[in-house]
Amino acid sequence: MSDAAPAGTDADPLGPGSMLHRLTHQTRWGLVATRAIVLEAAHPQIGAALITNSTFVAHPWRRLRNTVLSAQRMVDPDSEVRRREAARLNRLHARITGTDAENRPFNAADPEVRAWVVATLFESTVTMYRLSGESLDGPALDRLYAEFQAFLALMDPYGGKLPPTLREFWRYYTSVVEERLENTEAVHVILDRLFAQVPAPPLLRDRPAVWAAGRAIAGPTASAIIVASLPESLRARLGLAEVPGTRTLMHAACLSTSLATRLLPESWTRLDTVMTMLDPGYTPQRGGEALAGLRRGMAKAGALLRLITPGQETAAAGDSAVRSASRFFSEVLDQTGDGHLRWPDLAAMAREIATRLDLDTQDEDRLFAAFADWWRELQKELDTDGDGRITGGEYAAAAAAMAGPALIRIAEVLFDVTDTDDDQVIDARECRALFRTAFDQDPGGGDVGERLTRGEFVRRFLDFMAGRRHSGVYDQMFAQS
Amino acid sequence: MAANDGSDHVLLPEAGDVRGVPHHVACVMDGNGRWAAQRSLPRVEGHRAAETAVIDVIEAAHTAGVGWLSLYAFSTENWRRPAAEVDDLLRLVRRALRKHALSLHTRGIRCRFLGVTDPRIPPALARDIADLTTLTRDNRRMTLTVAFDHGGRRDIVEAARSLIRDGVPPEQVTEESFARRLPHPDMPEVDLVIRTSGEQRISNFMLWQVAYAEWVFPRVLWPDFRAGHFWECLETYRRRDRRFGGVQAPALTGKECR
Repeated sequence: MSDAAPAGTDADPLGPGSMLHRLTHQTRWGLVATRAIVLEAAHPQIGAALITNSTFVAHPWRRLRNTVLSAQRMVDPDSEVRRREAARLNRLHARITGTDAENRPFNAADPEVRAWVVATLFESTVTMYRLSGESLDGPALDRLYAEFQAFLALMDPYGGKLPPTLREFWRYYTSVVEERLENTEAVHVILDRLFAQVPAPPLLRDRPAVWAAGRAIAGPTASAIIVASLPESLRARLGLAEVPGTRTLMHAACLSTSLATRLLPESWTRLDTVMTMLDPGYTPQRGGEALAGLRRGMAKAGALLRLITPGQETAAAGDSAVRSASRFFSEVLDQTGDGHLRWPDLAAMAREIATRLDLDTQDEDRLFAAFADWWRELQKELDTDGDGRITGGEYAAAAAAMAGPALIRIAEVLFDVTDTDDDQVIDARECRALFRTAFDQDPGGGDVGERLTRGEFVRRFLDFMAGRRHSGVYDQMFAQS
Repeated sequence: MAANDGSDHVLLPEAGDVRGVPHHVACVMDGNGRWAAQRSLPRVEGHRAAETAVIDVIEAAHTAGVGWLSLYAFSTENWRRPAAEVDDLLRLVRRALRKHALSLHTRGIRCRFLGVTDPRIPPALARDIADLTTLTRDNRRMTLTVAFDHGGRRDIVEAARSLIRDGVPPEQVTEESFARRLPHPDMPEVDLVIRTSGEQRISNFMLWQVAYAEWVFPRVLWPDFRAGHFWECLETYRRRDRRFGGVQAPALTGKECR
C-alpha cells in the first residue's frame, strides 16, 4: 500500500525502515494505543492490574508520554536501546501483581497477558488502517504482523508467543474476545471517567474552564468513537450501545488523521510534535532541534493565553508556597487518584523516577526498596485503622511523621542513582535527566541547571515531600503530568 | 525625543549613545509612601499611583529610543516592610503585569526580571513573571528589566560563588569574566540612573552595573513622575561630561532635572 511496505529491511524488523518505527512516530499511533488499551482493560488480568496499580486515570498525560517514549525506544535504531527498554518493561511489569476483587491472581508479566497486549496493538493498527481507507494488502499485513511478533519476542524472549501465521492469529484474536474478555471495571473507568475527567495537559493547566469546555464535547466523542470501533460481540457484552452516527464519525476521525499524515508536513503529524505541544516536560528522543522553534512558539502562545485570560486575583490555596496537607495528599501522594494512599501510589512514584533515569536493575531495586521501606514506615505511623491504606484524613492528622528516616533514605538513594558520574554533585546534565527539562525551558523552580551537593539535594527533596513546599521540578514530575 | 535646543555638540562618544540618548537608563522609583502620606492615604495608594508613572516612563523611553530600561521595583530589603504592605505590593505588581503584558509585547519590548528568587513570591506571580518573560523574549526594540526582589550585593556574591564553584584560577578572574557571571550578562552598563523624590542613595541597586553611571535626583515623587520629567533627565544627562575616570573637565553646570 501507499506508505506501507518499503522493501529491503527484512534483516531488522523493528529498525528505522520498519512500518512499526514509522507508525510509532505518527500522531495516529495515539488512536491505536487508546483503542488498544480498552481491549486490554477488558482482559481480566490486565483490567485488575489497571484498576489497582495504574495511574492512568489520575495522570493520563504522564502515562501517554511514558508509553510513547517506551514504544519509540522499542523500535530504536540502536539494538542496545531496545534491549534495555525491554528489560526495563519486564522489571516494571514483574512488580505489578496481586489479586482482583474476586480473589483471582493477576500478574502483568504473565506471558498470556503480554501476548494479548501486543495482539491488541496489532489488531488496532490494522483496524485503524482499514477505517482510514488504507487497507493493508496481504504482504503488508504479513510484514506488519512479523514486526509485532518481533516486538513481543524482544519483550518476552522465552515467554508467550503470538500464533505463527496471520490466519491463526485471527482465530486466536476472536477466541480471546469471545472467551476471555469480560465486562471489567477498568473498561468503564477508561471510557466513562478517563475521557470525561481527563485533566488538562500541562499547557492548559492554568485554564481549567477552557479545558473543561473543550473536554465536554471531545470526551464523549472520543469515547463513542472508540466504542464504535470495538468488535460487536464485545460491545454487547460490555453493555455499550453504539450511538447512531458514531460509525461515520469514527471513519471521519481515522480518515482525517490518515489524510493529515499524508498531506500535512511531516513535522506536524509527528507524535513528538503533538506531545511537545501538550506537555512541555516531554523531550523527544530525536529531532529535538527541529521542534525547538515550534516549542518556543507554543510556549509563547501558552504564556499569552495565561496572561490575557482572567486570572484568580484572590490568593487561593495554590497561591501559597506551602500547600495544605489535603492538597499535597491529592496532588502528589495519591498517584492512582482513588482517594487512598496505598503501595501502588508509592510504586508509581518509584516507577516514574526509574523511567526517567533509565535505571539498571540494581539501582531500580534499591529505589523500590527505599520506597517500600517508606511505605512500611507510613503504614506503621499513619494507618490508624489498620485497613492497609491511608486516607487523606489519616495523613492530615499526622503529617509531621512524613520526614522519618525512610524518607531521608529515599532522598539519598535518589541522589546516588541520579549522580551517574559519582562525583557527589548533581550537575546540570544529571539534573536534567531526572527532571527532564527540555531545551531552554525554564521550569520556574530554579532547581534545574544548578549544581547540588548531597546535603542540598536531600534538603530540597525533603522540603518537597515533608515540608509540602511547592517545587517547580518535583511538581512537574509527580503532581502535574 | 528630547527637544532639540541646538546643544547637540555636547554629545558623548559612547557606543549606542550617538544621539546623546543614554543606551541604558535605570530608575529607582522612590517616593510612593511619601506621596500617599502627603494625601493622608494608605501607603498602598502610593504604590497604586506608581503604575501610571511606570507606564508613562516605559512609553517615553521607548519613544526616545532608549535601548535598555531598568526599573527598581522591589529590593531584597523590602521584605522587611509590614506584611500587609508587601502583600498589597505583590498583588499590584501582578495586576499591572497582566494588564500591560499584551501592550508591552506589541510594542516590541522584551521584559526581563532581575532577582525573583525568594520563595515568598506567590507562585501565581512567579508564573506570570515567567510567562511575560517567555512571551516577550524574542522582542528587540527595547529591553525592560524589572529588578524585583533584587539586591546588587547578592548578585555579586552569587557571581563570586559560581567562579569558586567552577574552580576558576584567581589570575583568570577579570572584570569581564566576572561580569559574565552576573545575571543577564548581555545587559550593558547603566548610563543614567534616575532616583526620584530627591533621595541620594544607591540602596544596593545593580551595584556592578552602575559603576560609571550618571545619576540625577529629581525631587518629584515617583507617582508624579511623567514623560516630561523623564525627558528633562535625558536632557540633563546629555549636558553632562562623562569622563569614566579620565581627564578632568570643567565642573558640571547647567540646569539639573527638577
